[in-house]
Amino acid sequence: MIQTLCRVVKAAGVAVVVSLAATSLASAGVLKLVSWQKDESGVGSWWSSLISEFEASHPGTTIEWTKVDRGQYVDQMTTLFAGGQPPHIVHLASFEYQSFAENGWLENLDPWLDAAGIDRAGWAGQDTCVWNGETACIMLLYFGFIMAYNEEILAAEGLDVPTNFDEFMAAVRATTKDLNGDGIVDQYGTGHETRGGPGQYLTEMLNYVLDAGAYWTDKQGNVTMDTPEMVEGLRRWKTVITEGLSPADSSAGEIRTLFADGKIALRLDGPWLYPIIIKGAAADKIIVTAPALSPPVGGSSNVLGMASEISDEEKQLVADFIALAMSPKFQRDYAVVAHLTPPSPTADVTGAEEGTPHFALLVETQQAAAAAGVDRIPTGLEVQYNAFGKMVKEEATRMIIEDLDPAEVVKTMQAKAEAIQAQ
Amino acid sequence: MKRTLAQSIRLYLGVGVVCAILIFPIYWLFITALSTTLELKALPPTFWPDPPQWQTFAKVAEERPILLWLANSTIAAVGSVVLSMFVSVLAGYSLSRFHVRGGNSMGLFILTAKMLPATLLVIPLFSIFRSVGLIGSIWSLIIAHSTLIIPFTTWMLKGYFDTIPKELEQAAMVDGCSPLGAMVRVILPVSAPGLAATSLYAFVLSWADYAYARTFLTNSQNNWTANLGITTMRGEYVTDWNEIAAVSVFVAIPIVVIYLFLERYLVGGLTAGAEK
Amino acid sequence: MTSRFALDLARPSRRHWLGYILLAPAVILVALIIVYPLVVSLDLSFQKVGIARLDQPRKEFTLVNYKRLFSSAEFWYACWVTLKLVTVVTAVCFLIGLGTALLVNHKFKGKTVARLLVALPWAIPEVIAVVIFAWIFDSSFGLMNWILVTSGLSEKMISWFSQPVPAFSVVSVVLIWKGYPFVSIMTLAGLQSIPEDFYSAAKVDGANALQRLRYITLPVLMPVLGVTTVLVVLWVFRDFSIIKVLTDGGPVGATTTLSIMTYEQAFGFFNFGYASAVGMVTLVFCVLASLLMLGHRAKAMY
Repeated sequence: MIQTLCRVVKAAGVAVVVSLAATSLASAGVLKLVSWQKDESGVGSWWSSLISEFEASHPGTTIEWTKVDRGQYVDQMTTLFAGGQPPHIVHLASFEYQSFAENGWLENLDPWLDAAGIDRAGWAGQDTCVWNGETACIMLLYFGFIMAYNEEILAAEGLDVPTNFDEFMAAVRATTKDLNGDGIVDQYGTGHETRGGPGQYLTEMLNYVLDAGAYWTDKQGNVTMDTPEMVEGLRRWKTVITEGLSPADSSAGEIRTLFADGKIALRLDGPWLYPIIIKGAAADKIIVTAPALSPPVGGSSNVLGMASEISDEEKQLVADFIALAMSPKFQRDYAVVAHLTPPSPTADVTGAEEGTPHFALLVETQQAAAAAGVDRIPTGLEVQYNAFGKMVKEEATRMIIEDLDPAEVVKTMQAKAEAIQAQ
Repeated sequence: MKRTLAQSIRLYLGVGVVCAILIFPIYWLFITALSTTLELKALPPTFWPDPPQWQTFAKVAEERPILLWLANSTIAAVGSVVLSMFVSVLAGYSLSRFHVRGGNSMGLFILTAKMLPATLLVIPLFSIFRSVGLIGSIWSLIIAHSTLIIPFTTWMLKGYFDTIPKELEQAAMVDGCSPLGAMVRVILPVSAPGLAATSLYAFVLSWADYAYARTFLTNSQNNWTANLGITTMRGEYVTDWNEIAAVSVFVAIPIVVIYLFLERYLVGGLTAGAEK
Repeated sequence: MTSRFALDLARPSRRHWLGYILLAPAVILVALIIVYPLVVSLDLSFQKVGIARLDQPRKEFTLVNYKRLFSSAEFWYACWVTLKLVTVVTAVCFLIGLGTALLVNHKFKGKTVARLLVALPWAIPEVIAVVIFAWIFDSSFGLMNWILVTSGLSEKMISWFSQPVPAFSVVSVVLIWKGYPFVSIMTLAGLQSIPEDFYSAAKVDGANALQRLRYITLPVLMPVLGVTTVLVVLWVFRDFSIIKVLTDGGPVGATTTLSIMTYEQAFGFFNFGYASAVGMVTLVFCVLASLLMLGHRAKAMY
């Protein structure tokens, strides 16, 4: 009786809702693209020009570009795929695409790229995009961190540009000051994001962890958190945050804006920092150089893919879009417009240093990161990266709040990481 | 009973100070929107920016699809308010006037429905909307907001109808009106203040939603509601508080204006249900 | 529609049919969009399921979600946080709400404007309230730190969002600012129903202001305040947007209420089954709490 009732209610519900849905079907010829890079200077312009060019060459097709906040990005993208409404063109960080590929949500790009006659040989970081033997994505950026410093602030303290961790700490401590004597710090030595998503938090920590000679896992996929090097890495991170050398509770966006406006002395960041610097109030005082901490954070950054649950017609359009992004023209623009290092080995980057004076340095740190085998993707935890990142962020925050000993914290992290890996 | 001068001064001073403190955050939102980014990144803070940066409003209106977001919020709110009010007026009237069997359990159920956490209901709704392809559509919001609104409006309207003397429609029926006619021609007109207050309350409930919008509407910027738009502005690369504040002002204005016009009904309407 | 049907309905003995007809649209809609999802949710809470899809066969019945829930420290901590938040916010909302209502209930020029202003935060969307306070409580350049440090109340800048107690305080402040106007509006309406001569009579009898509040105002307000308490408590219990946007439940769970935990499990870790279990338990708590507060007056709610 109750079952029948339930069935009737369910059928009626479906009927009503279907009739509503019929009125809201997406109009044909719209490709959806979700990205966190919309509205950003530099790389945002590269995307815009790519989209305009694609729309010009494909009359009748428009691209609807939506921004999703980086801090919530993986959760939101997973929700979209789970909700059956994935973006057609998929943009993800290279350390988070794996769980999507594992769910079968990403189309194998091999046949599409072969059909378009695109050669991926020598494409930087492309092996990272191979998942379960299939090409799940195309690497958009392979990079190395740079260090930018505010010349004026360093000069005011009589400091040289730091070249190792100890000098870096000395400079950061000396430049964190209260300038007008009201008891409030208004200039910081460095800046790190401490709120927002786990991906960025781990990237910020990784600067110190790598310099201390540690990493989350080894190349065989074993968790390697419980090591003396990791203890040292966490100790450094804890010191920088607890001593208030970085503005508290800031998002990466706030930190970058502060730095560009001359409120921060030193910032370790990827090449995407530059377009923000040149728009800031302190643009003419900031100089880009090699990072004091080594090996620099680097490796694969973000990837482009195709949703698997879309029609063949739409897949062809997405393949065209990806091919256009990989074309020599847009690979060159990646250097010239976005101030970033293009992954294509044949990209013509002559003249890039006109808009990006430190372009040679970008190539250099990219190669340094590659040579050191650095990447933000921990082998063996690829699919669980989101859960792993949340765990590390939570434990690191707890270490700072409750003033825990890093030697104990690494044990907790090791155990929890292994539990996540075993799931 | 006249107040002495001292008492008057004390009263006005008290009212002034209390209002100033409670309203200060709204003032601060305006000031933030009118400041330059450099003024915002300096202490002591600027209490009155000189010159005020009015162009920030023009800038955000030009760079972000604010009007579209506001339109989406409005569609979701109007849609869910109309749907909810339609069923609630009928149900509230029925519960108030007719001794329908099961009316009590309906009342009890509505009471429970008011306690439903949106974060619980969003889970099955997500699965249901997914299977019928409603994710990403504004309809998902209209339906989801109705789950928030119907329990409140039915309860408020029932309370309001209870305060209207039964003699009114009895008189109308003696004059030859059908029960339905009596309701439409006599009861609804005298209930106008209650209907206005209830609709306003429902509108605010819908306009304030964030949980449903962020779960169902993320994939397309063109369907975003205003609240969703604002929360995405704390960006990865740049965060400009003055721009966020300016957009917030745009989003707050419609609802504040409605509030200013309907506040006097709100006081009467809200409590009618509670006073028994 | 002719006569017979309409005539029938007009007849007193048939009138209750009209009652059912009027009730029907609401019943059907509520069944579809509230009852059915609730049943689905209850069903999910007894399955070990990640991202649930209705077009896939249901997983086997299991109690694993509830077992995990009641043995998880995280869950009990969320209960504790919720309890603290509900208590603090409700209490302060009542202090400010009652105070402001009594204040603007005086007769004076400009009281209409004062009433509008006092309840204005009610109309500000929650997300925007968060924007305002997130900036006032900004750890590096916020107004609040500046006030505290320059006035000597605090020696150093407070990191509002990376310390448990400050983060909890900021969340409370926003909830209070959004919540007190409702208490104020309800109280004001209650006050207006007290006839003026009650007070005149009390004054003649020599009752002072405090006695008048104690013996006239509060007793008359009691029923309204009872319902208002329940509504405020339920609102805090279920709040999502303020906490989600302001702190996202952090740092280390200091502001993770049951509501936030439900959402985080569903759309952060994608455990729909476990999340439904958390949500179901939250619902039971809500119902118990309201019954406890209203007692025999529960019927007054509907």
